[in-house]
Amino acid sequence: MSVLTRVWAVCAKDATQELRRRVAIVAVFFFAATALTLVSFAIGPFRLPADDRPALQAALLWIILFFAAATGLPRAFVAEEEAGTALALRKTVPATLVLAGKSLFNLVLFLAIAAVTIPGFLVLLDWKIGNAAAIAATMLAGGYGLAVVSTFLSALVARAGQRNVLFVLIAFPLVLPLLLTAIAATIEATGGAFPTTPLRVLVAYDGAATGAAYMLAEVAWED
Amino acid sequence: MKVLKLLLLPYMGAVIAAAFLWPEPAKGFIGESSRIVFFHVPCAWASTLAFLVAAVYSAGYLWKRNPWFDDVAAAAVRIGLLYGILTLITGSLFANIMWGSWWNWDPRESSYLLLVFLYAAYLFLRSAVEDPERRPRIAAAYALFAAVLMPFLVFVAPRVTASLHPQTVINPQGKILMDTPTRAVFFGAMAGFSGLFLWMLSIDARAARLRRTARNLHRD
Repeated sequence: MSVLTRVWAVCAKDATQELRRRVAIVAVFFFAATALTLVSFAIGPFRLPADDRPALQAALLWIILFFAAATGLPRAFVAEEEAGTALALRKTVPATLVLAGKSLFNLVLFLAIAAVTIPGFLVLLDWKIGNAAAIAATMLAGGYGLAVVSTFLSALVARAGQRNVLFVLIAFPLVLPLLLTAIAATIEATGGAFPTTPLRVLVAYDGAATGAAYMLAEVAWED
Repeated sequence: MKVLKLLLLPYMGAVIAAAFLWPEPAKGFIGESSRIVFFHVPCAWASTLAFLVAAVYSAGYLWKRNPWFDDVAAAAVRIGLLYGILTLITGSLFANIMWGSWWNWDPRESSYLLLVFLYAAYLFLRSAVEDPERRPRIAAAYALFAAVLMPFLVFVAPRVTASLHPQTVINPQGKILMDTPTRAVFFGAMAGFSGLFLWMLSIDARAARLRRTARNLHRD
């Protein structure tokens, strides 16, 4: 079996598992919808001053995306421990490929959350996108970094106590540079510019996170 | 080594005295507030140094699986947390004098708040892993992962967004913007705080080793 086939197999397994049970997936999308509804009800598109609107909308968008993703992304390795399939997976697939496959699934999940949330933002908060290609690039670069970091940290907390609280505590300081930069990129893209500098930072962050996760995958996933 | 430890106290006393008595207050700062650079920056440096030490010893633990490396890494994080909190306190004092509020969510000061969160997260992770065999390995993996991403937190993110923070010693012009007396006291303070950090690290790591030995004896 080739490397890509095994990575895809892990990703497909996770997708099948989550779609079969549905509880976790539904919870993630329900959280995103609830947060979006609350924000648009409380603030609405017209209470925000016009000058502040791009910054506030960008920040709110990424807050909703991050916390919606945080309900689902940590499940990558935790679900294996809960289902009792961790040992079988550990013995059949190398740690780096397991990490890659689960990161791919988490990226797809994040992009699905974004695909649901962004139209809601456009309609409910009257968000005007100046540069759609830049928004797409920001979602991809930001989502990738979030997926890789979340998947790696999920491996660390899989067999620890108080997993849910622990995950958010250990993830927050690491993903904040990514979120700040993604918000800066989204603000620029909303204004119509292509956010070259923030995107370069995001790509550098993604590269660093990927390299570190690859090097430490065996250690995190060790029995 | 004992001589160096004995000299550290009078040395730090001399640095503190010099910080208040020798250099003139810098231009562009309110009153004597610029003198805080002799304490604030060395605390920030010691906090960052602690993180680098933790990363190096975490890598050492994963390579050699020697528990002493884990003791040093954990001690470095504990002391780094202390220096990080001192950095925030001294920074807040300066912010209140210069800008009229204790906290401004300035990117540079926020990045140190997050560094403190990072240290706290490491210690929380250690306490959440009950298996004593897995704990050092998981903690080491987190420390190394965080070490790779830390430059984005401390150096990159504050430069992507606008900042109130005065220009740093490491600045785009590549020049040290200090007169001779200020430079002398500043680098003296940096050396003193580094020595203080290493001394505290040595004590805490040895205490951790004693606790570990006592636990192992008790188990046997």
